[in-house]
Amino acid sequence: MKTDDRIDFSSLDPTGDPERFEGIVRSIGERAAAELAARRARSDVFGEISRWWRPMLAAAAITGIISIGTLTQVEPNAPMLASREVGLAEAIGVPTQLAEWVRSDEAPTTTELMLSLEDES
Amino acid sequence: MADASLVERARRGDAAAFGALVQRHFRAAYAVALAQLGDPTDAEDVCQDAFVRALERLDQCREPAKFAGWLMTIVRNCAHNFRSYERVRATEPLDPASMNGPGPAHAARDAERGELRALLQTALAELSPAQREVVLLHDMEGWKHREIAERLGLSEVASRQHLFNARRALREGLGGRNVLREYANED
Repeated sequence: MKTDDRIDFSSLDPTGDPERFEGIVRSIGERAAAELAARRARSDVFGEISRWWRPMLAAAAITGIISIGTLTQVEPNAPMLASREVGLAEAIGVPTQLAEWVRSDEAPTTTELMLSLEDES
Repeated sequence: MADASLVERARRGDAAAFGALVQRHFRAAYAVALAQLGDPTDAEDVCQDAFVRALERLDQCREPAKFAGWLMTIVRNCAHNFRSYERVRATEPLDPASMNGPGPAHAARDAERGELRALLQTALAELSPAQREVVLLHDMEGWKHREIAERLGLSEVASRQHLFNARRALREGLGGRNVLREYANED
C-alpha cells in the first residue's frame, strides 16, 4: 500500500456502510418498480408480436392465395350473380314485376303499375 | 457484465440489471451530486431521483456503453433542479455554516467521523463545482483522469489542474489534519 495526495473521503461515502448502501439500492429499486413493470409489459407485448409475426405472415399468405384462387374461379360465373340478385329482391318482398322493370330500365305505364300492385295485394 | 448489456436488459424491465447499474454507478453519481450540492443527504436524495429518471429515459441513452457519462448529466440536471427548488425556499445549500452533516444520529454514532465529515464538507464548499467533481470522482470513486475527461466533457489537462488545485485547497482548509488515503493502484 502507498500513500499519495489523495484525500480520504470515506466519512462522506454512503457506500462504505454496506447495510446503509443496500438500503439505498433497495429504495431506488422500489421507486423504480412501476417503471420496470411497465417496461416488462411492453417488452412482453413486443416479444409476443416478434414471436408470432412469422407464422402470422405465412397464414396471411396462404389466405391470400386461397382467396385469389377462389375469385379466379368465381369470375367466369359472374352473370349468374344477376339472377341471384333478382331472387334476393323477390326474397325481401319486392314484387316480381317491379324487379323486372328495374332491370329492364323501361318505365311502366300507370295502368301497368296499378295492375301490378293489385296482383301483389 | 458490461454496461451496454445491463442497459439493454434494464430497458426490457430487468430489475436485477437495473440494480446492478445502481450498485456500479451510485458512488460516482453521489460524487457528482455532492459536488453540486455540498450536502450528503441532499446528494443521496438527488441520486435516487436521478437513477429513477435515468430509467424512465433509458431509451434516450444512445450509447449504452457510455451509460456512466450519460447518467452524470442526469445527476447534474437533477442537482441543478434541486438547488433551484432550494433557492425558492431561500436556502443556501453551499453555505459552509449550513452544512451540518447527516444529522445527530450519525454524529452520535461516530463523533470523530462526524467531525471529519463536517470539516470535509466545509472545505469542499470552498472549491468550485468543477474542482469538487474532479476531486470526489478521482479520490472517492477512483476514476482516472481519462475517464473524468471523457465522462464530464473536460480535457485531461483540465482534470489534472482541477485535482491539483482542489487538493491544495482542501489540505489548507483541513488545517493539516491527516486525510490522506492509502491506495493500492497507481493512476
